[in-house]
Amino acid sequence: MSDYILELNNITKNFPGVKALDNANFKLKRKSIHALLGENGAGKSTLIKIITGVYNQNEGKLFLNNQEKSFSSPNAAINAGISVVHQERNLIRRFSVGENLMLTNLPKNNLGLIDYNTVAKESKKWLNIMELDIDPNTIVSDLTVAKMQLCEIAKALSLESKILLLDEPTSSLSPQDTKNLFALLKRLVAEQDVSIVFVSHKLEEVFEICDEVTVLRDGKNACESEQITNLNRQKLVKLMIGRDEQIIKSKKDVNFTDENLLNLQSINTDLGHKNINLNLKKGEILGLYGLVGAGRTELIKCVLGLDKINSGQILLNNKEIKIKSPKDALEKYKIGYISEDRKKEGLILMHDVLSNAGITVWSNLKKILSFLNDSIVHNKVDPYVKQLEVKTPSYQQIVSNLSGGNQQKISVAKWLASGTDILFIDEPTVGIDIKTKSYLHELIIELSLKGTSIILITSDMPEMISLADRIITMKDFKVVGETINNHNYEEMSSSIMGNIHE
Amino acid sequence: MNNKIPNFVKTNQFGLLILVIVFICIFSFSTDGFTSRFNIYALSRVVALDIMIGLAMMVVILTGGLNLSLGALGVSAAMFGGWCMESMGIPISITIILVLAFGSFLGWINGFVTVRTGVHSFIVTLATMSIYFGFMTLLTEAEAFRKLPEAFTDFGSLKLFNKYISPLLIISVLTCFVLYYIFKYTDIGRKLIAAGANPDAAELSGISVDRMFIYCHMLSGFLAALAGIMLTARIGAAIPSMAGHLGFDWLLPAFLAPVLGGTLLSGGKVTVFGTMLGAILVTLINNGLYLIDVGEFWVRFFLGIILLGAVLLDRAREYFTVKNSIVS
Repeated sequence: MSDYILELNNITKNFPGVKALDNANFKLKRKSIHALLGENGAGKSTLIKIITGVYNQNEGKLFLNNQEKSFSSPNAAINAGISVVHQERNLIRRFSVGENLMLTNLPKNNLGLIDYNTVAKESKKWLNIMELDIDPNTIVSDLTVAKMQLCEIAKALSLESKILLLDEPTSSLSPQDTKNLFALLKRLVAEQDVSIVFVSHKLEEVFEICDEVTVLRDGKNACESEQITNLNRQKLVKLMIGRDEQIIKSKKDVNFTDENLLNLQSINTDLGHKNINLNLKKGEILGLYGLVGAGRTELIKCVLGLDKINSGQILLNNKEIKIKSPKDALEKYKIGYISEDRKKEGLILMHDVLSNAGITVWSNLKKILSFLNDSIVHNKVDPYVKQLEVKTPSYQQIVSNLSGGNQQKISVAKWLASGTDILFIDEPTVGIDIKTKSYLHELIIELSLKGTSIILITSDMPEMISLADRIITMKDFKVVGETINNHNYEEMSSSIMGNIHE
Repeated sequence: MNNKIPNFVKTNQFGLLILVIVFICIFSFSTDGFTSRFNIYALSRVVALDIMIGLAMMVVILTGGLNLSLGALGVSAAMFGGWCMESMGIPISITIILVLAFGSFLGWINGFVTVRTGVHSFIVTLATMSIYFGFMTLLTEAEAFRKLPEAFTDFGSLKLFNKYISPLLIISVLTCFVLYYIFKYTDIGRKLIAAGANPDAAELSGISVDRMFIYCHMLSGFLAALAGIMLTARIGAAIPSMAGHLGFDWLLPAFLAPVLGGTLLSGGKVTVFGTMLGAILVTLINNGLYLIDVGEFWVRFFLGIILLGAVLLDRAREYFTVKNSIVS
């Protein structure tokens, strides 16, 4: 029996105009955790889709347990023991945990009706293997995000999967939940004869749990099944982007004034924020740190008028303002919001680059009788799209066809074009490749140097510490700490985590 | 890579155009009188109305919703017009303005209730359909207005272009151009489409989505009222049952035209000229089948089949060809 449970040899996959994979190899050792890395557009997702039967390769062979296979559909791959756990949850939220786990094979009683006792018993078995203390009768939507993730893995196991593909499994997990997940993955590999393919942008995680690494760059192997012990962060980054990582310069020269620009005073909201006080100074980058669920994005949405503020005041230049809607914020007060969820809230995926980049400026550009044509919009947004180096064949390209990094650049470009004084930037680099990430970091600093005041929400501690001037920590919809950033990673992170775990 | 094929050929409209031509050829050869002056004139009167109610539905489908009250609304507006002219003696031009305003107001009710309650427009307009039609029947006591000014009814039976074309068709085609202009070349048109495509993203980009949705419903009411006026002029009277019970007769063509035309049912994409071609195709098939003399019920059967086919096409379109431009 070979060492490899899954082998892909010389895989080539062509899409119209693009070679997504070019002679790529991937070998997964039995009972190992294998990291699959690469920047957005390097071919990772294409490779995963070939493994899971969504696509078929144009050239090359796929071996499962030394037998050549070709999956005609995702179902065929699942039946062969290959399961993916996606970033997006695949659970039916209104069903119970047990129903979700047993969904494809619901046990029936003599009358042909679903036997709920067996459902509970069977699913409990898988939950026990994972040492998950969840009642199978719990409705999925009542679970925390982390537990849902674990249930997905339990579901994959219940399908007798021997190969698990985890796509960015930690992007919405807290550090503690991440730790638990990793412990579980290690146990599964050791005890359940499971092999894992791990996709992540967080290199720390790769070093923490992976045994071997395969890196893709432009559809080719930058390295193949390299032992993690032979690598370090610098080497890995170099493999991924083809050059050294640019260490972001910390913003030493503080250029903001003491002038208060935006003040929140004892804000209480419908969503549960209690007595929030914070002030943003002119030209400052104010960081809002907190774990997922701390109420940061929700606070910003309340400020934008999307949810109700019950008491307290918002002051702009020391004058009380009432923001009724994002339209109000943009047009009356020049405040903009770059959403964390670019696919759902940031962009209109089915529309083209031009209308996405121009959406915030239509109102300003319109002529008499609301007249507006493409060239007017084009002239306005072109400098920003160029400045951000958005890679797109044309302005008529549909945004959903662009890579994640380029999509994010467009959702930033539209706010640059709108020329706001205050920008709320929410998780600007989630799921973004390293090159684009450091580019966006430089851009945010440049913006603030030019006088834009920024409130930055990020769960990425290094990002927070390299960008923010001052860091406010939130927990359970309350402000629990405020720290002036000295850009020293060790000091700052321990001080912030101290605030959270007090 | 496919540079040799012009883009237009790949669009949905081109396929429709081919179909229209094919059907014209088939019916010209297989039936007597399809190309007669009388039949073409009759066709132009019918197609004018089908285009208008197709457009009225299209602007609500844009929001990802639909407007079931279309027929009831149009007839109510038309009856209001009949009352203005016959009972109140209001001049024609002012009546038309009042009717269009009234239609927009009924559309506003649809939009306002939909936006404020968050209930799908399917339910809201199902209710208002019944309310509008019921109220109209109550007020008119189901009596028609048959003594309309001659200038008005004459317009409906006017024949242009060597007596081939009804002026009603010209109104509909002009409306298409105006709508195309709005969606392609105005700030407000772009906002309507953006709000329909992704309400969350549009809202966060500073567009008042609620207001845009209400505008769409008002525009729908406006166009339905215009269709009501046109129908009144065509038959020379305002009759409560002129669009069938509860205005049902309008619903099938109203859906068929935009869906055949390539408007996405999930919202965010409109095709004004596609809707026009869709309406022409529906009218052609309708008319041709009558001429072949297959019988009323078969015509309905075929139109239903076509609607189902068009909806399947819509699903396929969502997956494969969102690549065409958003306004076409």
